[in-house]
Amino acid sequence: MKIAVLVKQVPDMESKFKIIDDSKVDESQIAFKMNDFDEYAVEAALQLKEKYGGEVIIVSSGPDRITKEIRQAFAMGGDWGVHIKDDQVDAGDNFVVAEALYKAVESLGDVDLVLSGVQAEDDQAAVTGAMIAGMMGVPHCTNCVKIEVGDDQKSLTVNRELEGGLNEVSDMPMPAVLTIQSGINQPRYPTLPGIMKAKKKKLDVKTAADLGASNVGEAGSKTQFIKMFFPVAEHMAEIIEGDAPAAAAKLVEKLKNEAKVL
Amino acid sequence: MAKLLVIAEHRNGEISEGTLELCKAAKEVASALGAEPAAAVFYKDDSLANELAKYIPEVFAVVDAKLENYNPDTTADAAKAVIDAQDVAGVLIPHSYDGVDYAARVAIAMDCGIVSNCNNIAEEGGKAVFTRSIYNGKIQEIKSVKGDKFVATFEKGAYDPEAEGSAGSVSTVDATINDPRRKMKEIVETMAGAVDISQARIIVAGGRGTKDKDKYNEVIVSLAQKLGGEYAASRPVVDSGWTDAARQVGQSGKTVNPDLYIAAGISGAIQHVAGMKGSKCIVAINKDPEAPIFNIATYGIVGDLFEVLPAFQENL
Repeated sequence: MKIAVLVKQVPDMESKFKIIDDSKVDESQIAFKMNDFDEYAVEAALQLKEKYGGEVIIVSSGPDRITKEIRQAFAMGGDWGVHIKDDQVDAGDNFVVAEALYKAVESLGDVDLVLSGVQAEDDQAAVTGAMIAGMMGVPHCTNCVKIEVGDDQKSLTVNRELEGGLNEVSDMPMPAVLTIQSGINQPRYPTLPGIMKAKKKKLDVKTAADLGASNVGEAGSKTQFIKMFFPVAEHMAEIIEGDAPAAAAKLVEKLKNEAKVL
Repeated sequence: MAKLLVIAEHRNGEISEGTLELCKAAKEVASALGAEPAAAVFYKDDSLANELAKYIPEVFAVVDAKLENYNPDTTADAAKAVIDAQDVAGVLIPHSYDGVDYAARVAIAMDCGIVSNCNNIAEEGGKAVFTRSIYNGKIQEIKSVKGDKFVATFEKGAYDPEAEGSAGSVSTVDATINDPRRKMKEIVETMAGAVDISQARIIVAGGRGTKDKDKYNEVIVSLAQKLGGEYAASRPVVDSGWTDAARQVGQSGKTVNPDLYIAAGISGAIQHVAGMKGSKCIVAINKDPEAPIFNIATYGIVGDLFEVLPAFQENL
């Protein structure tokens, strides 16, 4: 089974965010990591490979710094990868990035499954997977929490998470695009031998032009960024000051006498 | 006149609340965009179209036996039929489990841009502009769509649900609905017979900040027991297997409204907040002073939960 996993590098959400010129986040203050949801997608792909054989190819788009996350996916067990390195893809919107990823997946030839996280933690768009499926002309399922491959290895049974603890169970043919919800598995930690091997694994570097992706940059985007800002909270909690023991004592007092909930 | 079109969602034959929220949004902003508010609903009969018409002046119904349950392929076919038959300027879709499953397909069918997970739509210079949360709610961004058509999805609670009014018009749109490639077998309940935390008067919930299973038990479970309440968790805790899925609060878990909800080490992502914002008194304990949980809490302590919670317990 040939599986492509789309991996994105995102800021650690506990980083100190600073906005420059209402238009971008100051990267010098940010620590980067692999998108949590993509770790589950990598693990899901590795488990399928362990059961059915084949290869797991990591595909990611971004500047030089993303090689860290690609190598992390290699250390977990990914076989090789494609790094789309093109400023004009980075400058584009979801549609531009989806097209570049789609072209990269097509370039691999006869992929059975494309897996990605259900969304990226940074832009929280949750559209790329379904968009790529649309471009490829293959079926998809978002928010997957269970994947079973049919005996013929040409079909799948997937559970799609719904609200309030419900799951929709469906059958679908491959090739397909699945977006993976957190909690579907426990992503493995890279082992030391895994990390050593990861350094030698093949990583192809491609531009949009190499891949034949023609919509790039702001011009190729279908949406336009206007500005960003910190939200102004309409309500702010009453912050109880003091060291932990003092604040805790005050909190108990307020919950008893003011809120009357204890 | 062009239509600002809400695509309705339904489960078990009922229109979702998110759909009614978007009816409100469409009615508020349509005239400024030179459009009329309308909605489309795809179902096995016209019952839901008649129901939906109580909330919006014009409803387009696609009726086909294949549309009884949601599916991305059949929904895309039906949406395409309405978009081809009508002058549609923009499409509003709930950013729900079903909405994110098909919204991109509608954008591809319309060959237009998509802005997802929005919390507001407004008019600026005759164009629609969208506000949306990024970086886990720490930053908001404003975007627009190039060209004269758009697709946008909206987070739950972005607007109040529209109230029922006088009945609007319903018209049927002919469509060819193909057999879907993904075929639904069943919908299953994954938490049947499990603990029900939704009736508890006091809930102590732990998040990623509780670090590991032992520490979660040590600080969260023990405090809940001392208070005679239930313990609960945000998604990362359940994903990591520190507690049962039945104790997860939020969009994919339970909705709770206790008198007291203590959120420790929970950042306050919208998916979690959706399940507990109706609590009477919310206490937030987090070491990150910028955590969005402080924006909805009654009381907050900026500090280490492993110091604050034991001290809190001693003072009871």
